[in-house]
Amino acid sequence: MDTPENGTPTPEAPAAGPYVYDLAASPQRQVVLPKTAPLPSLKAYRAEVAAAQAADEAKWQKMLADFETAKAKAAEEGKPEPKAPVRPVPRKDDNDVKTPFPTEAADPDLHRLVELLADKVEEVFEQAGELVCQVRKECVLETLLLCRDDEQLKYDLLADETATHFPAARDFAFSVVYQLTSISRRKKLRIRILIPEGFEPDSAFPAYPTANWLEREIYDMLGIRFRQHPDMTRILCPEGWEGWPLRKEYPVVGLGQRDIDFREDRSGVLMRMAMEKAGQMGINLKVPKAD
Amino acid sequence: MLNQPTALEHILITTKVEKVLNWARASSVWPMTFGLACCAIEMMAAGAARFDFDRFGAGIFRASPRQSDLMIVAGTVTYKMAPVIKRLYDQMPEPKWVIAMGSCATAGGPFDSYHTIQGVDKVVPVDVFIPGCPPRPESLIYGFLKLQDKIMSSSIGDRYKELFEAAG
Repeated sequence: MDTPENGTPTPEAPAAGPYVYDLAASPQRQVVLPKTAPLPSLKAYRAEVAAAQAADEAKWQKMLADFETAKAKAAEEGKPEPKAPVRPVPRKDDNDVKTPFPTEAADPDLHRLVELLADKVEEVFEQAGELVCQVRKECVLETLLLCRDDEQLKYDLLADETATHFPAARDFAFSVVYQLTSISRRKKLRIRILIPEGFEPDSAFPAYPTANWLEREIYDMLGIRFRQHPDMTRILCPEGWEGWPLRKEYPVVGLGQRDIDFREDRSGVLMRMAMEKAGQMGINLKVPKAD
Repeated sequence: MLNQPTALEHILITTKVEKVLNWARASSVWPMTFGLACCAIEMMAAGAARFDFDRFGAGIFRASPRQSDLMIVAGTVTYKMAPVIKRLYDQMPEPKWVIAMGSCATAGGPFDSYHTIQGVDKVVPVDVFIPGCPPRPESLIYGFLKLQDKIMSSSIGDRYKELFEAAG
């Protein structure tokens, strides 16, 4: 706003003439990066709970200390003793929709995986009845082959493979998840790896041929390249697309690809006429050109 | 007595060549089968028995751009599809018309996103815009009637008007 005391000049009224839409200032073009990395994890959940408990305890200790000082002060001044503090009861979460929190792995499949892979498993937990196994990023193909071939596991279908970008996380940039289904045993399992920027995980194609297109989609949307993939090219966007659309730093409206004018406007006469007319009528007209 | 048709006018109609041509063009506009999204379902309904696009001479959906006069862009136009639309439009013989059907084809619709062309008029010149998401077959028929009006009121010189103006 107008702040002459700070010395900042008053913003000038837009110049008369054809109105020009400022693409750079458009709200769709602004990128807001997330501050947290909301990756479901048993370790993170436990740390969160412990932190909350510690905070509660610290608060209670502070209340006690405050009470002690108040009591001493009252005794000095000869006033009646203040009321003793009551420990606050933790607020009950009575929402109908509760976030399912991760619990200890109880399913035999997860135990079997831990038994077979030993220290290659980083974390196993269950959340809302879903089995999650996080393995080291180098041994994902080995894990998938095991899940497919082991007699006790027999996960014979790769239902989905996808990835998420976590720009706020410190030691990884993407999580890649493999949703496995065992048709014969009617069970589902999620294998997860966390990879930093630039890391190329092994392709799941040797274990599950479905991964061919799924990994191409991940590559197209997030720019994760898979090692020894038969055809690592874009699948949804046209060839030569700039940027990775599902990364958090990608603006919703893209990097100007969609603003290209495909029509042959002879020397831009029609566009100039339209802009002039729109300017006279006060219409907000976008500039149809690549920036 | 003066306004009564003469004996000759009972058997002859006097008109302009341009008007006859326009009448012929407007009465048998063959659209191209070109559905991109859910609007195509309404387009099919318009062509089917209940709404019967054939009443206006536009019931024969052609599967080839070489045989069609009208391109009904029914659905979302993505960046990847735009060059294809442009090529199909270029392959259609003159005279040709375009109807942008639905809010996606007219202005991008709800997809204010990186992959959607914000209106097919950035790719090909559009004669009639039909709003709606998706427009009902009645809307499509109304838009088509508007197009017929446009064809009837068009002149052969219109096509070269731009060139004449540019030449001065």
